[in-house]
Amino acid sequence: MKKKKFSWKRVVFWIVLISVVSLFVFPIFWVYVTAFKTNAAIRSTSLAFTPTIENFVFLFTTRNAQVPLLNTIIISVVSTLLVMLISIPAAYSFARYSPSGNTLLFTTISTRMFPGVIAAIPFFLLFRDLNLLDTHIGIILMYVYFNMSFATFLMYGFFVDIPEQVEYAAMVDGYSRLDIIRKIVFPLAKPGIAITTIFTLIWSWNEFFFAFLFTGKVAKAVSVELSLFWGATQIQWGAMAALMCIAMLPTLAVAIFLQKYIVRGLSFGAVKG
Amino acid sequence: MSEIRLENVTKRYESVVALDGVSFSCKDGEFFTLLGPSGAGKTTTLEVIAGLKKPDEGKIYLDNEDAADISVQDRDVAMAFEDYALYSHMKVYDNIAFPLRSPKYPEKLTKAQEKEKVEAIANRLGIGEYLDRMPKQLSGGQKQRVSLARAMVRKPKIFLLDEPIAHLDAKLRALARSDLKRIAGEMGTTIVYVTHNYREALALSDRILIMREGKVEQIGTPDEIYNEPESDFVANLVGDPPINFMDGELKKDSETTVFEFDKFKFALPDDLAKKAWASSWEEDGKNIVRLACRPESLTAAKERTSDIAAQFPVLVSERKDEEILLKFRVKEALIIASMGQADDVPGFEEPAWVQIDLSKVYFFRKTMEVSAESKRG
Repeated sequence: MKKKKFSWKRVVFWIVLISVVSLFVFPIFWVYVTAFKTNAAIRSTSLAFTPTIENFVFLFTTRNAQVPLLNTIIISVVSTLLVMLISIPAAYSFARYSPSGNTLLFTTISTRMFPGVIAAIPFFLLFRDLNLLDTHIGIILMYVYFNMSFATFLMYGFFVDIPEQVEYAAMVDGYSRLDIIRKIVFPLAKPGIAITTIFTLIWSWNEFFFAFLFTGKVAKAVSVELSLFWGATQIQWGAMAALMCIAMLPTLAVAIFLQKYIVRGLSFGAVKG
Repeated sequence: MSEIRLENVTKRYESVVALDGVSFSCKDGEFFTLLGPSGAGKTTTLEVIAGLKKPDEGKIYLDNEDAADISVQDRDVAMAFEDYALYSHMKVYDNIAFPLRSPKYPEKLTKAQEKEKVEAIANRLGIGEYLDRMPKQLSGGQKQRVSLARAMVRKPKIFLLDEPIAHLDAKLRALARSDLKRIAGEMGTTIVYVTHNYREALALSDRILIMREGKVEQIGTPDEIYNEPESDFVANLVGDPPINFMDGELKKDSETTVFEFDKFKFALPDDLAKKAWASSWEEDGKNIVRLACRPESLTAAKERTSDIAAQFPVLVSERKDEEILLKFRVKEALIIASMGQADDVPGFEEPAWVQIDLSKVYFFRKTMEVSAESKRG
């Protein structure tokens, strides 16, 4: 093989690339390193340390971190399932039947156009009166409300991309509407459904503001728990970093997964060109 | 048995009227073509026959049965779509086999039977080697043939074919055209065929329906459509180079009728005069009629050939296959005349004598504007 010629352009390219990547990756790296350090090692200026799992042991014995973790899993999974159950048929209907010239679709998405904090007070009063504060079902309903419109809007785009003629073809071929949704629409919309599910899941998983306001003990989410290491007198860096490691895992996994899964072109082969 | 009858079918999309009182009937086993420019309502007609769109008014009968009560799935039609409408997540094989696996398909096929049917039609249409590919790996013409194969893999009561060979290249199109004619003959199934290409329509059809802005303009055999067009629109749609139109004045000179258009001035025989007067209209106190003649019945020469010939300066001369075509700009119109196989072709602005063969002229009312610019070429 021929040796590549040295060029300043390549050097600059790599320097810029490495510095940008480090900028983004360093905080994550820091969190993972800190999680495996003792308290003494965290305060030390030396780079060398002996890895330990004492922070994780502390989390799951003294701190009972499994409770907020489980809460977050329940809340995000159940709310995402509900969102998809509502949004898939809604988005499909908007795409195919465009009721009221899609002003309804706009109205739906407009629920996401104001800052969430505006909704906080009325929702708080409502939830208090309905005894939904600090319950799983309460925060799940909250997330369904916020994600439903976003998910419908996102999936509307995917369904609209599927040419109506393809469904016509299947009808003429003798398939019922339900068969068509199962055999044609679903497979074609799969990437869209996957991406929407993931976005909804991650949003619910990471959500802090409403979880902080609306839950206290019973339905406390991991994002809220994370903020509680920040005491009045001290910050428990090690334990906080350890829980962060765990809380970040789904997001990291998704980031890697999405890279190859965002392939929107699947339905483009159907039309001419 | 599979007859189709449409009675006064009207279909509106919001404010646009796609079909406006369309009535026709199509006999069992007939190759019936809908011909018209884009936007004439051809595809919508297929869609209402298939049941994909519901007419706002009027009735559709399939074998004398009101189709309003029959669902799309139960109509037993096969359709090839203009933009293919392939199932892009399935291989070509599965696309073609899809109708065979439908719950409406009369028999349950074994894998081997299914394979046999799919391969037979795929080979026939020259896509046998692409069965393992995905639709996105195919060219436009190949996709079109997959779409056609999917429609033809079963034997429905009616075929609805929407521009099924429009995206093939010229050579393949000619091949597919004769193939289609042969397959149609063998299958003996009623075919409703949509095209905007008059050559396809003339070559394939038993009868042709000309559509214009959602209305039926004329129904007839290819021969009738070409030789006896009922309106200037039909005459203009069929034929290449396009037919010539001359909006000239009719004058009564004692007993004879004289037609005058720019330098053309000649007496019309009685039978023609009668037709001319019947189609004439008044404009600025003059009697105007639209005379139409095909370029092959408008001959050009350097020398004067008869006393009804007139002399015009040549705009352009073109060779078309064996013959030479001369184009003239006369008033607003672009007139195309045939010169046969002449060696001595007049150049730009040089004069040539043009003569109309009066046995092959038509007279029409004016139902459309014809200017040199808007003329099909």
